[in-house]
Amino acid sequence: MTANDKDKSAPQGASEAHSPAEGRFPSPFDLRPPEGAEGWEELYPYYVLISPERREMEEGKFWFYDGMHNPEPIYPFDTIMTENWWVAASQMASRVWPIPLAMGIDHRIINGYLYISPNGVSDPDEIARRTEEFGRRAGHYFENWDEIYVEWVEKAKDCIKRLENINFRPLPDLDPEENVFSHRGIYSTHDMLSTYNRLIENMFEMGSYHFEMLNLGYGAYLTFREFCQHAFPGITDQTITSMVSGIDILLFRPDDEVRRLAELAIELNLDEIILKDTTPEDVLAAIGEAEGGGQWLGSFENAKDPLFWFSTGVGYTHSDPVWMDDLRFPFMAMRGYIEALRRGENIERPLEAILEKRARVTEEYRALLPTDQDREAFEGLVALTRKVFPFVEDHNLYVEHWHHSLFWSKVRELGDVFVAHNFIDDRNDIFYLHRNEIYGALYDLLIGWATGSESRGEIYWRPVIERRRRIRDALTTWSPPPALGKPPESITEPLTIMLWGITQETVQEWLGVDADAAGDELRGVAASAGKVVAPARVLTSSEQLYDVQDGEILVCRITAPSWAPVFSRISAAVSDVGGIMAHTAIISREYGLPAVVGTGYATTTIHTGDMIEVDGTEGVVRIVERVAR
Amino acid sequence: MTASRFILWLDDAAAPGNPILGGKFGNLAQMTAAGFAVPPGFGITTVAYRHFLQTAGLEDEVRRVRAVAPKLELSEIKDETADLLGGIASAPLPADLDEQVRENYALFERKTGVESVPVAVRSSGESEDLAGASFAGQYETYLWICGADSLIHYMRACWAGMFGEAVLSYRQDGDTVIATGDFGICVGIQQMVPARAAGVTFTLDPINGDRSKIVMEACWGLGEGVVKGDVTPNRFVVDKVTFEILQQHRSPQTEEYRFDPSQGTVGLVPVDPARQDAACLTDELVLELAELAKRIERERGGAQDIEWAVTEQGEVRVLQVRPETVWSGRAETGHVATSKSPVDHVLARLSGVRVAGSASGED
Repeated sequence: MTANDKDKSAPQGASEAHSPAEGRFPSPFDLRPPEGAEGWEELYPYYVLISPERREMEEGKFWFYDGMHNPEPIYPFDTIMTENWWVAASQMASRVWPIPLAMGIDHRIINGYLYISPNGVSDPDEIARRTEEFGRRAGHYFENWDEIYVEWVEKAKDCIKRLENINFRPLPDLDPEENVFSHRGIYSTHDMLSTYNRLIENMFEMGSYHFEMLNLGYGAYLTFREFCQHAFPGITDQTITSMVSGIDILLFRPDDEVRRLAELAIELNLDEIILKDTTPEDVLAAIGEAEGGGQWLGSFENAKDPLFWFSTGVGYTHSDPVWMDDLRFPFMAMRGYIEALRRGENIERPLEAILEKRARVTEEYRALLPTDQDREAFEGLVALTRKVFPFVEDHNLYVEHWHHSLFWSKVRELGDVFVAHNFIDDRNDIFYLHRNEIYGALYDLLIGWATGSESRGEIYWRPVIERRRRIRDALTTWSPPPALGKPPESITEPLTIMLWGITQETVQEWLGVDADAAGDELRGVAASAGKVVAPARVLTSSEQLYDVQDGEILVCRITAPSWAPVFSRISAAVSDVGGIMAHTAIISREYGLPAVVGTGYATTTIHTGDMIEVDGTEGVVRIVERVAR
Repeated sequence: MTASRFILWLDDAAAPGNPILGGKFGNLAQMTAAGFAVPPGFGITTVAYRHFLQTAGLEDEVRRVRAVAPKLELSEIKDETADLLGGIASAPLPADLDEQVRENYALFERKTGVESVPVAVRSSGESEDLAGASFAGQYETYLWICGADSLIHYMRACWAGMFGEAVLSYRQDGDTVIATGDFGICVGIQQMVPARAAGVTFTLDPINGDRSKIVMEACWGLGEGVVKGDVTPNRFVVDKVTFEILQQHRSPQTEEYRFDPSQGTVGLVPVDPARQDAACLTDELVLELAELAKRIERERGGAQDIEWAVTEQGEVRVLQVRPETVWSGRAETGHVATSKSPVDHVLARLSGVRVAGSASGED
């Protein structure tokens, strides 16, 4: 679909987005699917759907749209990611630590989009009981953080290694003879089933590591942040983060490698070849034939694994291109660096200057505090937050990029098996099946192979997939309202504030916005200071990243950290959703572009080509001139 | 022999902090010496003031007025000071003083290359050194004064201002501080800055005392609009550490203080329509002014209240600096309610107890 399709249908979704008269958000039962998406429920398991038999409970909760992790309608298979954290993130807060004020975060999929609702704890006795347990358990992690993080990296790497060793091949005509002569007693069918189970278990294993330390890291940051905000009212999140963020974090590595390859290309006189506007494959072939090309290609291959297992999205969706499979992205960035180098610019990140600034800023704020006790608390929290931050910033590279990118490629390998056995026509069609349906389809495949009959799957799945494809395409035209149900009386749950940036003010803002009459001004969080007027480029999927032109303002549901290369081309960024610790915020701040996040409705109000003004100081986006449509 | 000087230029080596320049001009001389862009000028010193009172035979009358002032009702002050004020307005100037004022004004004309160079004439009192007293608005400032005769007229007005109702009745902690002390006055003469925009900067947030902020109010034209409060200024808040502009409040401005040639004086005139809705300072100027304020605060070792102007060419001029008096006088209260290890702070936060503010019921 294109941005234009979306534009035409925007008012339909938007008109449902709001019912200000009642001072509450629309009921989840009042939402209708867009035309052509009727029956969308069949894409998802029963337990993620809003349930009419629990109407009172469903309507009494505050549901907000998680466009941060899933900006597009979720593919049936991809629910594995949201289902993972439904349990894995929730259990950390509810049963493992347990965070005194918070239970888990509930999920529903509505018209293909994820809505979530944090559960709180309000009974004082229960809070007290949880506080004691929490202190003992979380205290252990904080006290031993560095050692536990070393162990964590080993676990993560081992999990990835085991994933690498998972392979799917079509079943052979005859079972391999070693299964016979080694008297194994189990054969390819059992291997296929257990390999699939291992794949799914491996995903849930990494999904569990993902949250092992994350909430505590966020907790330390939140504490430091609130202290700064109290002592220095109005201090920006960018400044707070700059005092504690890592200087040489892993997440920068892929981009660092691209810079290095750009420098090497110039050194070896290969830069002209790379600058030619051809496909990465053609460029690589031409380099192979050029003098010095072998050296560059060797360097390129070394850099690729594992650093190019790098998603251009947040990693929660199989459709986000990964550098490894789609080299256009690193090559686009590389061209930018080569051009900058030719202009005589320095493309290295100024590590020493960043470090020096961090020390100066931290010391100046410390000196502004009035009492010894304040300064002691500040120093302690800076030190603790700096200790936990490497995990907060770097876990993305292991989990979302390296592991999950590899995971999607393994699922595609399984897709090839289904193609080989005539169940589907395209490897990517496998993502239209839920993981539990795949288990069934796989067994159907084994039956066919074992009996020599045609599997029912060979005629069963194609029409289902076609229907689901049409439904999902229709769902992309729907604009999810930012929130549903009953607005909360107060938001105290720390992770909701940290991760999604949702506060009482956000809720009031959403309640006050009439999407139909939103007019030419949008308010959001002032994320990065400065003001720019330029044409907008509205993106609804990662694929459209390649359309971005120099100087445009990026307007998106949410930016992904790995969009970094595109940040050197744009002049400002606007997003619908945004929290201060969103995966993305960490890197977007680095680029110092004016940015307004959490506007709620930017992608439905603004259209590509509109001239807009982004005021990152005030947190306002104005449409200066609308393009004729 | 600076102690006997009638005239002292701001850029004279003897000027910085010299008590005969009074508080305001003594500060400005320090600023000039430290290399800040202060418009040139000179002070007609406290020595000159005392010399005048002596030769005019007004010393006894001054002593008498000061002695009775604390006991007077506000309504009685005018009658009691009539003779003194009449004397200050009309008694002949000592010839040496008259000559030196005229000579130095002529020198000012030569230095600036401007005939009848317009100047601001303002009082700079010894009493301004009293800790914690701002005397804000107690003394008049006369703008756009041209020619030696006019200058002398307003010099006398400044001297007379020492015995105005407002000053004689100004009380601090219940005492009529100025009336009882034998304070002298210096009259500061400073070249007018034809301001495109002007305003006041505080090196802390005057609303809550937050020392991590620089707060400025600015308007089109001369700074009188901000100081007097009859123009709603633009307001800018800048982070003192990172120099991010955190807030900007703009309100349309239809009138500005400016020299009005038809009236021959400074008055409220319409703002150029193209400027009315625009911010009177660019972001670059806001940051330049903020950096200037931070340097001045460092130089002077405490929170400051700074008046400044921006010329049509965009150059910043410092017109006045004085210590901030409200928050600087208070003991700052701490933010942390209970001393804890950082881990315990985090554990407490995730149990709903914030590090800062919860004890006093804030947040």
